[in-house]
Amino acid sequence: MPSSTPPPSASSTHPHDLVSRLSSPDVDLQLKSLREVKNQIIGNRTKKLFYIKLGAVPAVSSVLSRASSFGCDSSRRSNLLIQSAAALGSFACGLEAGVQAVVDAGALPHLLRLLSSSDGKVVDSGARSLKLIYQSPIAPKYDFLDDGNRKFLLALLNSKNEIVMGFGCGIITHSCRTSAEQKALCNAGVLDKLIDFFDGSVSQRDASLESLTALLKNNCDITAKFVEFDSGKALDLIIKFTLDKSLKTRLLACCCLIMIRNVSSSYLNGMDIERKLMSYLLELLKDTGQVGDDAAFALASLVEGKEDLQKVAFETGAIDEICRHLQRGVSCSQRYRGLLIALTNICAKLEICRSRLFSSQALSSVRDALRRDCDDVKTAACDCLRSLSRSVKNLSAGYFMNESFIGPLLELLHDPSLPVQLAALRAVSNMVVDFTQHKSYFLQAGGIKLLVQLSMSMDSALRTHSVWALKNYMFLADCKFKEAVFNELPASSLVSLICDPEISVREQALGLVRNITDGSPESYDYILSEDGVILDAIGRQLRYASETEHNIQGLYALSNIASVSESHKDIVMQQLLQNAGTSDEPFIMEVLCCDDSRLRTAVLWIIINLTSPSSGAPGRSVKLCAVGVLSRLKCLVSDPCLEVKLRAKAALGQCMNMGEGQVEAIGFIIK
Amino acid sequence: MPVRVVESAAPSQVSEGASSGNTGPPFCSLLSVGQTFSGTQNVSSQQNERDEAWKVNVCIQGCDLDHGYLCGTMEALNVPMADTPVVTFWEGEIVDNRNYTFFTGKWEATREDDIRHWTKFPSFAPLLSYVEADGGKSLDLSSSQYIFMRWKEQYFVNVGDDCGLTIAGFYYVCFSCVDGSINGFYYDPKSSPYQKLELKSTNYGGSGFIFPAYELQ
Repeated sequence: MPSSTPPPSASSTHPHDLVSRLSSPDVDLQLKSLREVKNQIIGNRTKKLFYIKLGAVPAVSSVLSRASSFGCDSSRRSNLLIQSAAALGSFACGLEAGVQAVVDAGALPHLLRLLSSSDGKVVDSGARSLKLIYQSPIAPKYDFLDDGNRKFLLALLNSKNEIVMGFGCGIITHSCRTSAEQKALCNAGVLDKLIDFFDGSVSQRDASLESLTALLKNNCDITAKFVEFDSGKALDLIIKFTLDKSLKTRLLACCCLIMIRNVSSSYLNGMDIERKLMSYLLELLKDTGQVGDDAAFALASLVEGKEDLQKVAFETGAIDEICRHLQRGVSCSQRYRGLLIALTNICAKLEICRSRLFSSQALSSVRDALRRDCDDVKTAACDCLRSLSRSVKNLSAGYFMNESFIGPLLELLHDPSLPVQLAALRAVSNMVVDFTQHKSYFLQAGGIKLLVQLSMSMDSALRTHSVWALKNYMFLADCKFKEAVFNELPASSLVSLICDPEISVREQALGLVRNITDGSPESYDYILSEDGVILDAIGRQLRYASETEHNIQGLYALSNIASVSESHKDIVMQQLLQNAGTSDEPFIMEVLCCDDSRLRTAVLWIIINLTSPSSGAPGRSVKLCAVGVLSRLKCLVSDPCLEVKLRAKAALGQCMNMGEGQVEAIGFIIK
Repeated sequence: MPVRVVESAAPSQVSEGASSGNTGPPFCSLLSVGQTFSGTQNVSSQQNERDEAWKVNVCIQGCDLDHGYLCGTMEALNVPMADTPVVTFWEGEIVDNRNYTFFTGKWEATREDDIRHWTKFPSFAPLLSYVEADGGKSLDLSSSQYIFMRWKEQYFVNVGDDCGLTIAGFYYVCFSCVDGSINGFYYDPKSSPYQKLELKSTNYGGSGFIFPAYELQ
């Protein structure tokens, strides 16, 4: 079995010894050990993890702490400070476990103290380490609403030392999240300061662009202030930076412009900037380093939720370009994820985009990503397939219900990672809306069993989405598929879902009942099994819940049940005539009088089904009229909503078409 | 629904989107996913002495009112040239003056063809003068009890393209929100003119309407 412990090289000291020597009273030995640890871990993730496990980080932090507190001769002390700070920075660089270890070792206050050293090299070393630590989201957040923290930040930004100033920008990027913080920083003069840095060195400019993006994010007021700054000259500069020599500057400028566009498209109107941004980002994707990786995420952010820009992406060939990158093979997980998210967002709304991806050879790369080691990549691949499977055209053709799509997704339903499981479930939920006989593939692959198992999960999101998938699978499903669900999900289990503590689960469960009851006699037997517990549960939920979407599902479930036999119609009647949970009025009257036209429409369909000509219809009509339904229907024929008006007319017509004897009876009761 | 091949289908043109901000047609629960319709398509023509009507079933599979989009399948049951019912997948354009206007602008349909077909529907009569004036862009369709659409078959679901049938044309469709009835006229310059489609909403055994639904994420 392979060991995770790298063997110590012949030329170096044994790692355990090296770590213990960090605590040696001999300063020279300490320095030598620090240098060696630092040299070993630079750029080596495995060694970083190994030394973290050995407890090297607290040991280095102690060296830093002791050296900053006690005297030894000044040059050796400086060296200790510089080397220990650099080692801590190395541990934190690109490794969350390293950042966590540094934070846990209490090293941050010691590193911050280095910034006030009179020795420039010590300051550089401390600032460089802090900057690396604050690139990680798990570094502790700065509260910019605190006066002291704001003063500290301004001191950093005002520093002549570029690394210190870069650290200042870094903590804005890291910690500025809320609009209150953005406002506080802006009022403290941070916006002006960041704009000043545009004229500085490349690193100043880049740091400024990055923190400016955080300062403007989703903030209309500050974005407006920035756009109008110096008659738009600051904005012009950013647009100019999109063509800079430095690829990183170009990318950061693009990200900043995306943030401005996300706040309001009007700021960049008439510049055709969106199309340009798209082509700049596609160009930056070609970079094989960090810039290329980040460009994919920037592209994803540019088009996210914006149908017009998704169309621009299609027109500028973004899908083809991203597919080309995927087809060439992507080893870096971060880049793979970014490209998949970009595709997900581009294909979110438009069929033309989905068609292009679907016909691309790169589709196999998306599917391959489902089997990668990295959870984030698997999640992104599931999301991409979910976006793609929003195509009703392809669902209708049964393109997804096969081994290449459903197979790996079903495997991911067992994944130990919850986000992966959920992402797979959401993709499956779309794909099972299959309009062909291919639905049997899902059944044979054990999909139904698995979904039912997940519907019993302790996690409410898993329950919601597994029931959602079952609901979609049941849409226009043949009897054999329905029976498969009935076999796995006894009525009592369905009742548990209808009464789940989470409203999202309850809503999907009612939607499932709605689709189960769409015509086949078997389904109606199932609904009435176990003494009608399912119908009772639906009635109870409807009478006590106030959530519209939930109630719409429940009402249509009742409406479908009311389309069958006399006995089904009578049972639905009983539910409707019971008093609403919080009033003395029958439930049906409460819904007929509610504000939401969709609820009024749904309950009118129930009345239409209950009173459609049949032997029991007159009796049911009399009962409905007795509670005031007839007079309410007369009002609803003038409803402002056309759909309500039409259904009320139909229901009223059916009620009025009864025999004269019943009409008289109704008249008597109403009087 | 497919018709017999006369000549190979011509490629359709790219659609021109409408720019008007007029209010589109109202929501109608009978025109939503899962709704089914059955009826006939009259395939007789002036040249054909014998009247011929194919039984037709339609199921709506997708509906996106924001994009004026509708789609589903159409099943022709007694097609003389086919051993089994022929199922096609169609996509519909809802005339909403936002995504689509009364003018087709593609599929070899001129404005004159459009007017000629739309006027076959009695419910179009009040709209005629507006459509002739500005394509109907000034019309408020939100209170109309009729929804006008074009349905274009895209592919054969259960038979090959070489089945001897064509789906080159498209349907002008008028849907009644009142009872879910559908009237349509097939248009293909290479096929018999004015083949009439007549469908009624399926009311299960006369005892009720059902409303299944799915939701994509």
